[in-house]
Amino acid sequence: MNNYLLLLFNLINLIFIPLLLMGVIRKVKALMQNRIGSPILQPFYDLAKFLRKSETISQTASWVFLWNPLIGLGVAVIAVLLVPWAGPLLPPSWAPATNFLLIIYLLSLGKFFAMLSAMDTGSAFGGIGASREATISMLAEPALIIGLGALALGNGSTDLLTIFSNPSNPFIAGLVGAALVILALAELSRIPVDDPTTHLELTMVHEAMILENSGPNLALTEYAVALRSCLFFGLAMQTLMHIAPGFYQLELFPRYIISLAGLLGLGALVAVAEGVMVKLKWRSVPNFLAFGTVLSLLAALIAVWPK
Amino acid sequence: MLLLTAAIVGKNEIITIPLPWFLGDAGFSMLIDPLSRWFLAIIGLVGIPVALFAPGYLLHLQKQVSLGLVWAGLALLMISMAGVVLAANAIFFIVAWELMALSSFFLVASNHEQKESRHASFIYLGATRIGTAFLMGGFLWMHYLTGSWNFSDWGISGFSALGPALLIFIGLATKAGCWPFHLWLPIAHPAAPAPVSALMSGVMIKTAIYAMARLFIIGPHINVPILGKIILILGAISAFWGVIFALLQHDLKRLLAYHSVENIGIIMMGLGISMLGSLFNQPLLIQLGLAAALFHTLNHAIFKSLLFLGAGAIDARTHLRDIEQMGGLIRRMPWTAGAFIVGSAAICALPPLNGFASEWMLYQGFFNLALSAPLLGFRLGGLLLMGILALIGVLAIACFVKAVSIAFLGNPRSPQAEHAKEGNSGMVAAQLFLSLLCLGLGLAVPLLINPLGAITSMTGSPSQLGHVWSIPIAILTLLLIATVGALAAWRFTLVSLKPGRKYNTWDCGFGILGPRTQYTATSFAQPISRIFGSIYHYAVEISTKGRQRRHFPEAVNAETMYEAYLETKLYRPFLSAVQRFAGTFLMRLQAGSIHQYLIYILLVLGLLLWVGVLR
Repeated sequence: MNNYLLLLFNLINLIFIPLLLMGVIRKVKALMQNRIGSPILQPFYDLAKFLRKSETISQTASWVFLWNPLIGLGVAVIAVLLVPWAGPLLPPSWAPATNFLLIIYLLSLGKFFAMLSAMDTGSAFGGIGASREATISMLAEPALIIGLGALALGNGSTDLLTIFSNPSNPFIAGLVGAALVILALAELSRIPVDDPTTHLELTMVHEAMILENSGPNLALTEYAVALRSCLFFGLAMQTLMHIAPGFYQLELFPRYIISLAGLLGLGALVAVAEGVMVKLKWRSVPNFLAFGTVLSLLAALIAVWPK
Repeated sequence: MLLLTAAIVGKNEIITIPLPWFLGDAGFSMLIDPLSRWFLAIIGLVGIPVALFAPGYLLHLQKQVSLGLVWAGLALLMISMAGVVLAANAIFFIVAWELMALSSFFLVASNHEQKESRHASFIYLGATRIGTAFLMGGFLWMHYLTGSWNFSDWGISGFSALGPALLIFIGLATKAGCWPFHLWLPIAHPAAPAPVSALMSGVMIKTAIYAMARLFIIGPHINVPILGKIILILGAISAFWGVIFALLQHDLKRLLAYHSVENIGIIMMGLGISMLGSLFNQPLLIQLGLAAALFHTLNHAIFKSLLFLGAGAIDARTHLRDIEQMGGLIRRMPWTAGAFIVGSAAICALPPLNGFASEWMLYQGFFNLALSAPLLGFRLGGLLLMGILALIGVLAIACFVKAVSIAFLGNPRSPQAEHAKEGNSGMVAAQLFLSLLCLGLGLAVPLLINPLGAITSMTGSPSQLGHVWSIPIAILTLLLIATVGALAAWRFTLVSLKPGRKYNTWDCGFGILGPRTQYTATSFAQPISRIFGSIYHYAVEISTKGRQRRHFPEAVNAETMYEAYLETKLYRPFLSAVQRFAGTFLMRLQAGSIHQYLIYILLVLGLLLWVGVLR
């Protein structure tokens, strides 16, 4: 019974939740701007629309461009299934596969191809996007690994499934969770690091990279973004919820529901923040991400402090 | 003929039997144990593809270099490297070491009609001389302390071992290309023919890693606690330094050479935490660090030689080394491009390739240091090192995205790139062989745990590596391939139902984009270079020409520049001082007069007699 339940939850996580999260963010953002906004299910309609269209492909593009959305989505699917972002939904024997270093490097594989594909069409927009994406990753990933490392130190294991099935020091969980929210904004190209809705090419990062994608190619890319959003925001939310001492002991079903509610809540909060903040100018991005790094370092210091 | 020799040497080495055997008297004894077998395997695995690649590559150089010299040098280099990792005592080691240095010097100098090549070979020769001087000093001191030339008798510790340990370390670090002794590396490697660069960067500099493991970690070793910290810190600096300078390079082979500095740094961090493990008496830490370092040594040998061969293939077909002149090669050299992308993903430690496996082990080592070190500073250091390794990893990704995308993707930026052709079958086969090894070694980690365990158990406690590698990488890779395959099938069905169209890249309505409107390597690296600008004085200077300069410029010139402080502020004044000294004083000693030389002989003879009488 329990296994079927896990399978069901994983399927919902994979198919329904990511696009719902994107819809919630859009809706709340529209409300913040005094607009009615599109329906919450609009991302689903968009995806169906893109899939029905035919593609336009640059003459310069090679196989890297054609295969990038597939590799990116494949990596995102595997990562979303492995990371316990909505509670531990995998049998405990899978713990070694949920190693956070593996997940981060797996996502880097997707990013590597995404940057190559952006450069593949010979467009300078792709170049500027890829170059900035590389810079943002460089600023965000060390903090990500130090933060998760600090969280992992309490359990002596770098497997996320083990970390989230055991109690954590609430201070570390709070600091790392806050750092993860900041880093997630950068990794997902959201305000204040990048504006996912703008179409002025010179200011964008993510949109500039996928400027040449269209039709099914674009649908797969957008879906991968939705999956990665769930993963990063979910991971941040799980870490923040670990501040509550009994959270890890909850039964599967209540924990799953609370996690999803938390995830959508965080999405709404991000949308509110996007409503009241502006995009930082490019040169100030390192300063913003420095907050994430400092939070991670503080967590690391607490984690190694003698008891 | 020599090709066969090299290949056979390569093949024999992998299946060598682990028996300690001795040749002649103590002067030429060899020792084969798991550690030397590991390095012999590395030499062999890189030797085979280099032998495959070289005939095709050397065709385009046959007017400039003497092919016989190159082949003889390659064979000698292979044999002397094998000698270095087999030597059981210091005398034989130095002989092989010198043979290795000289044969590689001749190979770097093989294209000696070019000024750049001559300059590079002299700098390389100077570096090896200085390195060997330190090494010999250290070996003599050790002989004085232990009364033996055999490495197996060199198990000393305490304060007295500090001097020789430091001398030996500086000698080895010069060969390895560790910061701040790395200067020769980005100069010598690009000047050599590509198969030689592959061997030098992939294998030769690793012999220094072998010697560090042999002398400082395994079996009876020189035990100096402070050395572990020095190696760890210098390793971290090397790794960071190598990668940020690599980002600035446009010469493909020089970029790869700076990545060798980076990877040597990563390997040395592994050795460093291994030595910290023995300081804290943590067997798991000792073994993790050593295993990560040795595994990364193997992996780096594979993917770095793959990348150098790729750069060589481009060089042979287009005569280009500057990536700003390349572009669009993925259509013209598809196999080389595919292999280069695999090699780049491997050096960026992306799963499921081999670089990931060894860097993951190093991460586990740092995590273990953070868990088990008795002192707060070291525990925090363990976590920070994880962050530093992550930073280095992301910078490597940025650098290789730059190299791959500017060289292979987009439109060709020069006529040479436009008329490029794929290399011949031997060149392609060599690159495919190495790319498959990258994937194979990444998936077959559980099979490698045993040979690695055999080496790490030589540190004095039974191997604990069995439980370390826990990631089911093969299953996950299959899962990934299945997912991507299913998605591909779906997508290509969709596309075949509704065929798309081919059109120009989006040009904002200005007209078709040319090669010059593409992003350049310089601009790709600019944001990151600016962030680290204070390390190398990064600056961009833009000048415009024309009467109405501001609004209607006739020509706009943008130039980026950087300055490596270590070279301009430390080495250059020192070298020019040496040159001044040599020019004014030393030159008089060697004036070319036979009478003067006769006096020297007489004086030395007298001195020797006097010393003999005194004893």
